[in-house]
Amino acid sequence: MPFDDITGLGTSAERHLASLLLHVRPDRQAMVRAAIATLPGTELHIEQAGKMVVTVEGPHEGWIADRMTALHLLDGVFSAVMVFHHIDRGHIDRTEVEAAEGS
Amino acid sequence: MLDRRDFIKAQAVAAAAAAGGISLPAAAQSSLVAGEDTALKWSKAPCRFCGTGCGVMVATKDNRVVATHGDMQAEVNRGLNCVKGYFLSKIMYGEDRLTQPLLRMRDGQYHKEGEFQPVSWDRAFDEMARQWKRVLKEKGPEAVGMFGSGQWTIWEGYAATKLMRAGFRTNNLDPNARHCMASAAVAFIRTFGMDEPMGCYDDFENADAFVLWGSNMAEMHPILWTRVTDRRLAHQHVKVAVLSTFEHRSFELADIPMIFTPGTDLAILNFIANHIIQTNRVNREFVEKHCNFRLGQKDIGYGLRPENVLEVRAANAKDPTDSKPIDFDAFAKFVSTYTADYTAELTGVPKERLTALAELYADPKTKVMSLWTMGFNQHVRGVWANHMVYNIHLLTGKISQPGNGPFSLTGQPSACGTAREVGTFAHRLPADMQVTNPTHRAHAEEAWKLPKDLLPGKIGYHAVLMDRMLKDGKLNAYWIMVNNNLQAAPNSANETYPGYRNPDNFIVVSDAYPTVTASAADLILPAAMWVEKEGAYGNAERRTHFWHQLVTAPGEARSDLWQLMEFSKRFTTDEVWPAAVLDANPSYRGKTLFDVLYRNGTVDRFPLSDVDQDYANDEAKHFGFYVQKGLFEEYADFGRGHGHDLAPFDTYHQVRGLRWPVVDGKETRWRYREGYDPFVKTGEDVRFYGNPDGKANVFAFPYEPPAEAPDHDFDLWLVTGRVLEHWHSGSMTMRVPELYKAMPMALVFMHPDDAKARGLRRGSEVKVVSRRGEMLTRVETRGRNKPPRGVVFVPWFDSARLINKCTLDATDPISKQTDFKKCAVKIVAA
Repeated sequence: MPFDDITGLGTSAERHLASLLLHVRPDRQAMVRAAIATLPGTELHIEQAGKMVVTVEGPHEGWIADRMTALHLLDGVFSAVMVFHHIDRGHIDRTEVEAAEGS
Repeated sequence: MLDRRDFIKAQAVAAAAAAGGISLPAAAQSSLVAGEDTALKWSKAPCRFCGTGCGVMVATKDNRVVATHGDMQAEVNRGLNCVKGYFLSKIMYGEDRLTQPLLRMRDGQYHKEGEFQPVSWDRAFDEMARQWKRVLKEKGPEAVGMFGSGQWTIWEGYAATKLMRAGFRTNNLDPNARHCMASAAVAFIRTFGMDEPMGCYDDFENADAFVLWGSNMAEMHPILWTRVTDRRLAHQHVKVAVLSTFEHRSFELADIPMIFTPGTDLAILNFIANHIIQTNRVNREFVEKHCNFRLGQKDIGYGLRPENVLEVRAANAKDPTDSKPIDFDAFAKFVSTYTADYTAELTGVPKERLTALAELYADPKTKVMSLWTMGFNQHVRGVWANHMVYNIHLLTGKISQPGNGPFSLTGQPSACGTAREVGTFAHRLPADMQVTNPTHRAHAEEAWKLPKDLLPGKIGYHAVLMDRMLKDGKLNAYWIMVNNNLQAAPNSANETYPGYRNPDNFIVVSDAYPTVTASAADLILPAAMWVEKEGAYGNAERRTHFWHQLVTAPGEARSDLWQLMEFSKRFTTDEVWPAAVLDANPSYRGKTLFDVLYRNGTVDRFPLSDVDQDYANDEAKHFGFYVQKGLFEEYADFGRGHGHDLAPFDTYHQVRGLRWPVVDGKETRWRYREGYDPFVKTGEDVRFYGNPDGKANVFAFPYEPPAEAPDHDFDLWLVTGRVLEHWHSGSMTMRVPELYKAMPMALVFMHPDDAKARGLRRGSEVKVVSRRGEMLTRVETRGRNKPPRGVVFVPWFDSARLINKCTLDATDPISKQTDFKKCAVKIVAA
């Protein structure tokens, strides 16, 4: 479920984005998929051979940690571990992104 | 065109896919440096928590750690991070961080019953030295002691071992690792003549079967668990067996799940040995060439106080380590009583499952990795359990090969590096040497440039014995560093707390936070932690890894290394060494312990200019030489040339750790096997060179029951342990608001029918009561831990609910490690 749908992002000064790697029981993949869809700020990107790449977006680290723990303890999930975490303070800067893309 | 948010998200997804070995369309594989903002300075460090030894990248800005993430270049975790690792950047910034020494005072003077008041370091050390000198004069060296940690850096543990053994001339030095893996360490030495695993984490990608013997890796070692999971999911033939006394998260992956009656794992191990023999699958050639057989001592008691009826009744409580040689046939006969029927009845595990497990070991084509932590080690027969798992690997020759091997996991970041390799146990010296061996002591005296016959040969007090001696008034000056023993020790209200508050005793606690242990002390010293100092740890797979100091400690907090070395300046040899030693060696007269231990020409041989100019080093600056390098190099010389070889100091600042022995710049992944281990000569195939004859010992031991079992009055087994969110006593993780919120209190996990039978339900307020104490909490019947009927589980991280008031101070009589997994309690409505 995308993050913006639940909280007013405009009111938060910070935005945290993290990606998690999940190992999932093959026979429960559909169930896990459904559970992820109901977790605010959580999005499933890739699914391959019992693994899922999920991003979590939220207003603070606690939000991320809550999701991470919830995912780790989800029925059918063997483990959920963090790979990438980014903290954004202030406004979106397109120029910076374009420069990065070009490099 | 992507906006920044999408761009970052794409980066995040690509990073996770790369870390998980998931293929992505080429377009998505943009080069990325995970979260590495250019305004931040990023440096490598090992994680501060468990024994896995994950690499993390640490970002600092304005003298503050602002972010961390898994290190993509670290082989151990390959960019992954667990939830505790994610919050590393926050552990140093709890609101109640200690920043100045605190002394109990009344009317301006130290007073045992006084209130804590801030004092200067000078004042703190003056009082501490006065108390140490008083005790040394009145009672001698056996009345002073120190309780250290597997969280000490390598050089901190090494400086401590020198100060206690050579400075104060006592072996009353023990690490909290005693509570954690003493059983593993002792059994390694008794079996192979050398400590620590022969294999390494590379076994995860080579094994066909994994057997968890009393380990909940899913919660306690989540990163290693992803490696097991990866292997299991990617290879259809791979099997996972999980053994425990209650169902936990690791059971999700289990092909062979097994809940057994507490303590009966010993019988399962003997059954497997018997099955291997009965089905004719012993690797005869391996056994004949590489194994000796011995019959161990039985009926060895439970490590309780000697007057306890269980000790009086035990036939061999006084010499639990004895054994005598036998042959293979005698061993086969010994284990033959452990039939499938007998074992199934004793353990409560169905026969078919026992056989399926035994087949993982017996089948010569299956490469099997055995893994264990506290379920084996915190066991009144923990040393036996460790021996018995080596037995089944040795009988089949499934050892020291990629994918084949027994692997003891550890709970602390330097349980191996500091507690074991440096030798901070009451019976050990560096590089597996023993204090009782005169040759070993002479070698240490020579390496430390100290007079002959200075080092004491009597084994010091171990952790539980220290508590008893404090209570009994025989140990009176006591320094606790980097651990929270009042929360961690068993039967604490009766056996630990009274010793701390005994008016004869002076208790010092060095910590970063006001733990329950600190609050029971007489003097609290504020400690620097993790990247506030330069450090080195050694993880469970023999990997030694280093980090630089990245920030300065708050206020007057100082590293344990600084504290140990600075305190040593307050004693002269004339005050603490016997006159006979000084008469024979007059050149040592009038010198401080600092001079003779750390200004000895070896420790102080590297100048300040050797320190990397990009990083601070508060200790080197204070003492005027590169303290850490000098200590490390002096220490490393103990092991070089005979199988404990460490690389030169500077190398470790460049690499993501190396697994010893490191010979000619190359690490060793599998010890004792020709082609992998440089100490095994061509043609030898396998050589367990820790033992003079090059052979490993297979020991015959029986099943013996735990010290206490449920009865009419106390009708439930109590098992204690940890949870995902918190690390050990929670003194760091409970200060991270997000982790605190996720698991704020220790609940009692119990079977819903057990709750119902007592008129309780989920959420009911209850008391957990044992013969020793009680704890107030709430019932959880639906949580992640699912005990069978008759068993309850309580984690021990919660300082407001001390489950160790209930536990029993029974230990393995050989390793002296407490059994925190088996005692009897009742649950009553509060």
